[in-house]
Formats: sequence, structure tokens, C-alpha cells
Amino acid sequence: MGVNAQYKKGVLELCVLSLLKRRDCYGYEISDYLSRRIDIADGTVYPILRKLKSEGLVTTYMQEESGGPPRKYYSLTSLGREAYAAQRAEYLEFARAVNALLEEDEHD
Amino acid sequence: MTKNEFLLRLSDALRKRHVPDYSDIVGEYEQHFAFKTADGFSEEEIAAKLGSPEDLAAQFEGGGEEKRQTGRKTVTLVGLVFSDIFAGFFFAFLFAWETVVAAFSVCSAVIGACLLAGRSPWALIPPLPFGCAVVFGISLAALAVFSAAGCVYFALFIRQLMRSYGRFHKNTLASASGGAVLPPLSAFPRLSPQANRRIRTVALAALTLFAVCFVLGIIVSMIAAGALEFWHAWGWFGYVPN
Repeated sequence: MGVNAQYKKGVLELCVLSLLKRRDCYGYEISDYLSRRIDIADGTVYPILRKLKSEGLVTTYMQEESGGPPRKYYSLTSLGREAYAAQRAEYLEFARAVNALLEEDEHD
Repeated sequence: MTKNEFLLRLSDALRKRHVPDYSDIVGEYEQHFAFKTADGFSEEEIAAKLGSPEDLAAQFEGGGEEKRQTGRKTVTLVGLVFSDIFAGFFFAFLFAWETVVAAFSVCSAVIGACLLAGRSPWALIPPLPFGCAVVFGISLAALAVFSAAGCVYFALFIRQLMRSYGRFHKNTLASASGGAVLPPLSAFPRLSPQANRRIRTVALAALTLFAVCFVLGIIVSMIAAGALEFWHAWGWFGYVPN
């Protein structure tokens, strides 16, 4: 995996947390939503979900759906909520600084 | 690549990398195929968009890093046990102090109430004129309020300190095993400005009232007894006036 992919993965993690903060989702929902907006391979979301679970930031539960197999839902833990708030602030600060830097370059 | 080919290659790659619960992961991708197929995509298209199964399997691997850090983890655990023992003593001491302050506050309140009511249970309170007793009673009641405010703040302080230590404990363990680390917590309680102001106002008012009434009580007692050392005049502390 290149540096670019590594970098994207870190940001994707933040996006997944952001989605889960709004409501509980099943894996495909998250993968579908993100791949529509960001250029990633469809498969990359599942390793991220697994990592978040092993770190205790999300939990899973099964829920029966009408006319289909039960789906595995992902839900943010209180630890995840806290981690998301911290990472979000950090990222926004970082993005703001980078934007400012790149825009300066236009005036040269 | 068909769905079956993809899933087979994925589970092979996962097993080769010793990823736990690999069947769970394969199930997740199987569902992905089911959803996409329902949306009208062919198996080939879906597999191509998912990425290579071997690359994906590599992303599930996280165990290698943990194994390398086992030595460091043991050292951290031993250090943490000692730090816990030390913190335990420290918190026991803080709790003891909290108890002492609380007991002091209750005693002050009881004695103050007895003085104000003009009662002396088991003759514990030495005799003194009722007027002086009232002034001392107010003074002690104020002292009770002051120490109670201190008690409340100290309790909040201990709670925050324990939470802060708990966070440190959790973070140390997490970073030793390569897990997620959370921001540290402040050791001091963060109260709302209103609550802060309220506690401070109550404490200051009570302290002032205590000091004023205490001095006033002494002066009133001196005048009532007609002597500077009024406690001698009233025969306190087993002293018998001639």
C-alpha cells in the first residue's frame, strides 16, 4: 500500500465514524455511501470497520430484516464518540491550515 | 473473477495471514455481492470494484504488530501495577481527608445547633450565657457551611482525579498494545462558571460570617463575664474560680 492509500485510509476512518455518529449502519450501507462520494475500492471499508471494532470504537449487533438474512449493524461506542470528536477537530484544524497554505500559492 | 472465485481467494489469503474469524469477514463480502447483484451489477464488475482479495486480506492483518510489542507490553504492565499501588495509597489518603473534613462539618453543625437551641447534651458544652451561645452558634453554623462547601469541591476534585488517572491507565494499556489512545483528561474538575462562582460565593460568605461571629462572640463573652479570660470566669475546662 502506498503512502497515498495509507493517508486515504486514515481519512476514511474519520468518514466512517462520522457516518456512524449519525445513525447505526450495516457494512454495505457504509461502503456504498462512501464509494459514491470518494474514489476508493469498494472493499476497503470492511477492513476499517474491523479495525475500529478491535479498537473498541464501534460494536456490532445483528438485526433481522424483512425478507432477507439478518444484517450486521455497526454502532458507535462512547469511546468511539469521544475519539471521533477529537479526531474531527484535529482533522479540521489540519485541513484549514493546508487550505490556507495552498491558496497562498495562487497569488504568487 | 466470479463471486465464488473472489471469496475463495479471499478466505485463502486471510487464513494464510492467520486473521481470526476469517469466515465472518468472508460473510461480510458475500453480503456485499448480494446487495450489488440486487442493484443489477454483474459478479465480474463487483469483484473488480472491490479490489484484489490478496490486498484486502493484507489490510485485515493487524496481529503482526502486536506480537512485536509483547516485550514492551510486559514492561508497561509491571510499571502500571506499581503505579496503581502508589495511586491507590494516594487515593486512600485523599478519601481519608475527605472523611475528616465531612466529619468536621457535621460536628460543627451539631454543636452550632446545640448552642442555638440552648441545649448541652451530656454537659459537653460548657455553660455560658444564652446571648453569647447564639453568637458562637451562628459562627459554628457558618463554619459547618464553609467546610461542607470545601467538602463538595474536594469530592469533585477526587472524582476528576480518579477519572483522569483511569484515562491514563487505559491509554497506557492501549498504546502498549497498539490500540487507540484518547485525549488525556484534566486533573482538575471543570465546573460551569456559574457552579464555580456559587461554590466560591458560599464559601467566602460562610468564612466571613464565621470569622466575624467568632470574634464578636469572644468580645461579647468578655463583656458578659467582665474578664478578658472569660473561660476562667465561667469555670470552663475544669478550672474552678477562687
